[in-house]
Amino acid sequence: MPETNGAPKIGVYVCHCGVNIAAKVNIPEVVEFAKTLPFVTVAREYKFMCSDPGQELIQQDLREGKVNRVVVASCSPLMHEATFRRATAEGGQNPFFFQMANIREHVSWVTADGQKATEKAKALIAAAVRRVAFHEPLEKKRVPVHPHVLIVGGGIAGIEAALKIADAGKKVYLVEREPTIGGHMAQFDKCFPTLDCAACILTPKMTQVRAHPNIELLTYSEVESVEPYDLRNFKVKIRRKARYVNEDTCTGCGLCAEVCPVSVPSEFDEGLGMRKAIYRPFPQAVPSAFTISRRGTPPCQAACPIHQNAQGYITLIAHGKFREALDVILRDNPLPAICGRVCTHPCTVNCTRANVDEPLNIPALKRFVTDLFPDYKLPQPKVNRAERIAIVGSGPAGLMCAYELRQRGYWPVIYEAQPVPGGMLSVGIPAFRLPRDVITQEINRLKEIGIEIKTNTPVGKAVTLEELRKQYSAVFIAIGAHVERKLNVPGEDLPNVWGGIEFLRRVNLEGPFNLGKKVLVIGGGNSAIDAARTALRCGAEEVTIVYRRTRAEMPADPKEVEAAEEEGVKMIFLAAPKTILGNKETGVTALECLKMKLGKPDASGRPAPEPIPGSEFVLPCDAIIATIGQVPDIKSLGDKLGLETTKWGTFKVDEMTLETNVPGVFAGGDCVTGPDVIVNAMYAGRKAAISIDRYLNKLDMRVGRELEGPFKPTYTVDTSGVTMQRQIPMPCIELARRRTFDEVHTGYTQEQAIAEAKRCLDCGICCDCRLCATVCEAKAIDYEMKDQFQEIVVGSIIIATGFKPFDARRIPRYGYGKYPNVYTALEVERMTNASGPTGGEIRLRDGRKPKAVGIIHCVGSRDRNYNSYCSRVCCLYSLKLAHLIKERTGAEVYNFYIDMRVPGKAYEEFYDRMLEEGIHFIRGRVAEVTDHAMTPDEEGKLVIRAEDTLIGVIRRIPVDMVVLAVGLEPQADADEVRRKFHISCGTGGFFLERHPKLAPVQTFADGIFIAGACQGPKDIQDTVAQAGAAAAEVLSLIDRGFVELEPNTAFIQEELCSGCKTCIPLCPFSAISFHSTKGVAVINEALCKGCGTCVAACPSGAVQQHLFTDEQIFQEIEGVLSYV
Amino acid sequence: MSEQWEPRIVAFFCTWCTYTAADLAGISRMTYAPNARIVRVMCSGRIDPQFVLKALADGADGVLIGGCHPGDCHYQAGNYKALRRYILLKRVLTEMGIEPERVRLEWISASEGDRVQKVMNEMAEQIRKLGPLQLERPSQPHRLLAKEFEVIAVRGGAR
Repeated sequence: MPETNGAPKIGVYVCHCGVNIAAKVNIPEVVEFAKTLPFVTVAREYKFMCSDPGQELIQQDLREGKVNRVVVASCSPLMHEATFRRATAEGGQNPFFFQMANIREHVSWVTADGQKATEKAKALIAAAVRRVAFHEPLEKKRVPVHPHVLIVGGGIAGIEAALKIADAGKKVYLVEREPTIGGHMAQFDKCFPTLDCAACILTPKMTQVRAHPNIELLTYSEVESVEPYDLRNFKVKIRRKARYVNEDTCTGCGLCAEVCPVSVPSEFDEGLGMRKAIYRPFPQAVPSAFTISRRGTPPCQAACPIHQNAQGYITLIAHGKFREALDVILRDNPLPAICGRVCTHPCTVNCTRANVDEPLNIPALKRFVTDLFPDYKLPQPKVNRAERIAIVGSGPAGLMCAYELRQRGYWPVIYEAQPVPGGMLSVGIPAFRLPRDVITQEINRLKEIGIEIKTNTPVGKAVTLEELRKQYSAVFIAIGAHVERKLNVPGEDLPNVWGGIEFLRRVNLEGPFNLGKKVLVIGGGNSAIDAARTALRCGAEEVTIVYRRTRAEMPADPKEVEAAEEEGVKMIFLAAPKTILGNKETGVTALECLKMKLGKPDASGRPAPEPIPGSEFVLPCDAIIATIGQVPDIKSLGDKLGLETTKWGTFKVDEMTLETNVPGVFAGGDCVTGPDVIVNAMYAGRKAAISIDRYLNKLDMRVGRELEGPFKPTYTVDTSGVTMQRQIPMPCIELARRRTFDEVHTGYTQEQAIAEAKRCLDCGICCDCRLCATVCEAKAIDYEMKDQFQEIVVGSIIIATGFKPFDARRIPRYGYGKYPNVYTALEVERMTNASGPTGGEIRLRDGRKPKAVGIIHCVGSRDRNYNSYCSRVCCLYSLKLAHLIKERTGAEVYNFYIDMRVPGKAYEEFYDRMLEEGIHFIRGRVAEVTDHAMTPDEEGKLVIRAEDTLIGVIRRIPVDMVVLAVGLEPQADADEVRRKFHISCGTGGFFLERHPKLAPVQTFADGIFIAGACQGPKDIQDTVAQAGAAAAEVLSLIDRGFVELEPNTAFIQEELCSGCKTCIPLCPFSAISFHSTKGVAVINEALCKGCGTCVAACPSGAVQQHLFTDEQIFQEIEGVLSYV
Repeated sequence: MSEQWEPRIVAFFCTWCTYTAADLAGISRMTYAPNARIVRVMCSGRIDPQFVLKALADGADGVLIGGCHPGDCHYQAGNYKALRRYILLKRVLTEMGIEPERVRLEWISASEGDRVQKVMNEMAEQIRKLGPLQLERPSQPHRLLAKEFEVIAVRGGAR
């Protein structure tokens, strides 16, 4: 090819396009005009330039040397540029000495006025002439097409295309997001117009897909990203969602689903039937492996600091599987009987059920199970190690840490200063809330697995911390917070002024003692309530809580406050102690208080109480119990290790690992956090155990620990439509017995527990009870499975992602979701299917056979309020359903239609057959479906009100069942998919084809094709035909092996490049780099896709783009503006 | 040209979205104001602010820029680059005393033929309201002379 072709001799060829251009544009005038343009040597017109004789005109002029550059003024270059470039080449010139002027799409078809159209055509031709003079010879680049193919969507379109391509010997990746392939077709019973069984024709193809050596089937997978691999091929990242069942080893026996306690509405049966949390959508699914639906950690479990699997044991309780429930409880919690009674239950606080009525009483359910099996044992450790660990303090933190360490094989030894183990559980919490024998049993269970507890052994006196550190491999300090905070008011040292913990400890260790008749309790926390209720049980006649804020700000559990009030405890709010009155002999006689008011929020977020000056008042009393908080007794440890502390008198530790500043010494619980609840102490104990284990094994202390402790669930559960059912009240002993230390709550009965457990909303779907694993003989279940990513390289992609049915709820007047017997067509489709939820019987919700059925056409289609397009399949599937309903039930069937749209082979005949079968057809859009009866005939029926436009009357047809022929809509995430693949959506949101007639399965993205209903509503016949077309496109690409790329890449004129690097970060394909020795930018042509962004940015004009140089575009601008 | 003044508009459309949309408007026979002349570029990111200035200097009364919707660019982000340049350009035009409303940027996807029609009509109306762009221009600035072409001929084509 010569580099140049001499002085420009430009030929202008104006196309009539039949009458398409000629009827509007004055072509002879345009041709005469063209002749006046610079260097135009020939200007001609012809009826169809794209025809062979038209092209021959150009070639002849080229061959004869009359012209060496060509301008064709005709249609859009997107239509025929390639045609005329080829003609130019065949005439002996470089094909790029050609330019097209679009005078059809951009002129004759869009301009009303002929004169204006002619002017516009002239301007565009002038621009093309000016431009083509500056064209240069170019060569197309060939890029190999990778032979592998990706098909997205495993419906009938994807299946068909995959089989066609694979049969031709090419490798296919078929990605389907559901657990099985089959798509919507698998849900159908019969197919129109032949009424052949959908499963009979589909399932053999599905099996073929599974067995085909050239198809790699990736179900339950989604395309994560699509990136250019090179100029033409794609690098695709696929997310293989965890199905928690090993696809290769699962035999599909179904034992797992039999034992699974969780039932949810079946998506495959359109919610008419139920499926289990571990499921296979339908028996013939491919692959046949089961899948576990896990939405993620349920809110109850996520909120629990120790992640107790509440949903798991609740579900099992609901099914009467109490022993299994206990196993689930013991998986996470060695102190369930204690937690079931006194835990502050963050689970319940976060229970989704609270959005409906009341949360579940989760601790009560746990307690029910532990009460049912009082002799349960903790699991024995599976390993044993040599290391011994010292734990200081036997409260919940120490016990939990010991348990977790023991489970890891270590030998924990707990040192306890008090005569009884349990820490605050034993000395702080009164027995009427937590009976002593419950604590003893729990601790005995811990001892049984090898945990040693040395009571009456205060560290700091009996043994020093240094000794512990020497004798043991690690030390965990969990001494709690047992030192009372002072009120700091005069008279605090008087006899009968007690600290709350001091008082409770004495009662718990030594039994009740007489405090006097009138007792005041200062404070508003759980300890205050415990102290007040204990004081009543010590014989006090009048117990009053004095709190400086109001009831709303009380930190105590509201249920405990209510219980205290029930027992007769009085409350005085907005009062703070000023002076304690009395003397050494009489002890305390009264408390002088100040009235308070609420001010601005303080650091805790609660309003700060402010004293009202001069508001003093006196409360006479015999004893005062001050429960205003505790601090750790760090001094008692006699610490010489140099452990750092905070200004609040707690240990300073690393929040994530609980390490102190001394290696091998850890601290946690109240002695780190200050007074806190039991479950947080247990959380600290577990954390410390994990840290100690990592410390002793010299592992990374921090990695992967983000999800320890409470976190926010990743989802919220939709609670609409859940029936109200309030919490079952916890049974209590009668009020008269509440002057003793008998446990107040007696616990749920079996019936109550089951009823309460059934209120659970199955937030996480799978409740993680793991019963399925116990029955799976193939050992295919893997709860730890994570989403996997697979990267593939392909040269072609077929998108066949299908449709979603229109949501009939959007048209409330048709009553879907309101009247139980209004169904969507797909629901009836499932009912007619022998493997469906009714076994093929068409039944109303109450089980009756319908006697009259109305089918409403065009629901959501041909309606400007919803979708203006026709969904194409509804008329025919309505006919099919009408036939099936009539055949199976003998019911009268009424079709309400706007127009019967039944074009297609054998479709009209099918319609005729239905007419002969006696199905009624009423022409007119339905106004509404109502249950409002106006005549006795209509009683108990659904009345369809519609205009019969053929006879011009409004009709009311009473029926038993209404079927809504819902239209087809793009998938909900079609827009997201479109962006991923860089394709476009057309009107209605379906994927846009490159040309409706000439390239119906191509997209504007090279190498990406579309097939089936994702391109627009269509029936199975058309879908399969399109899938075949897409397969043919792909196969022709692969067999040719390469594509030619438009040579519109950017290039650098090195002599002009100043090396400013402006262009480099602009390139979306990283095609530009900097040549450090030459000091200029360099473009890697193999990466450049030809957008020209860098060209527009180059300040010195050094970057240019082939086919779109600055000069060419300047000429084009001058061209459109200078001649007309 | 008719006696009555008609706005002259140059439109720069990216080939993937807006140019295709203009084709769709044609296929759908949506008639609209004939004032704009479309120049096709591969991407709105290719549109050099100089193109706009050149068009205005050479007799255009308005310039329309069309690209893919944000997030839809065939080349990932060229339309964002166009947007940035457009914002800057409007400020430059204001400084130069040219009404910034003479230049308009529109995101029009390949399926939005109706939007091309609407924008073309609006643009013509807008420029009609603003009146002719009164710049000092040579009367016949760019009727390329044969002499200039000789230069091209000697160089042999574009370069």
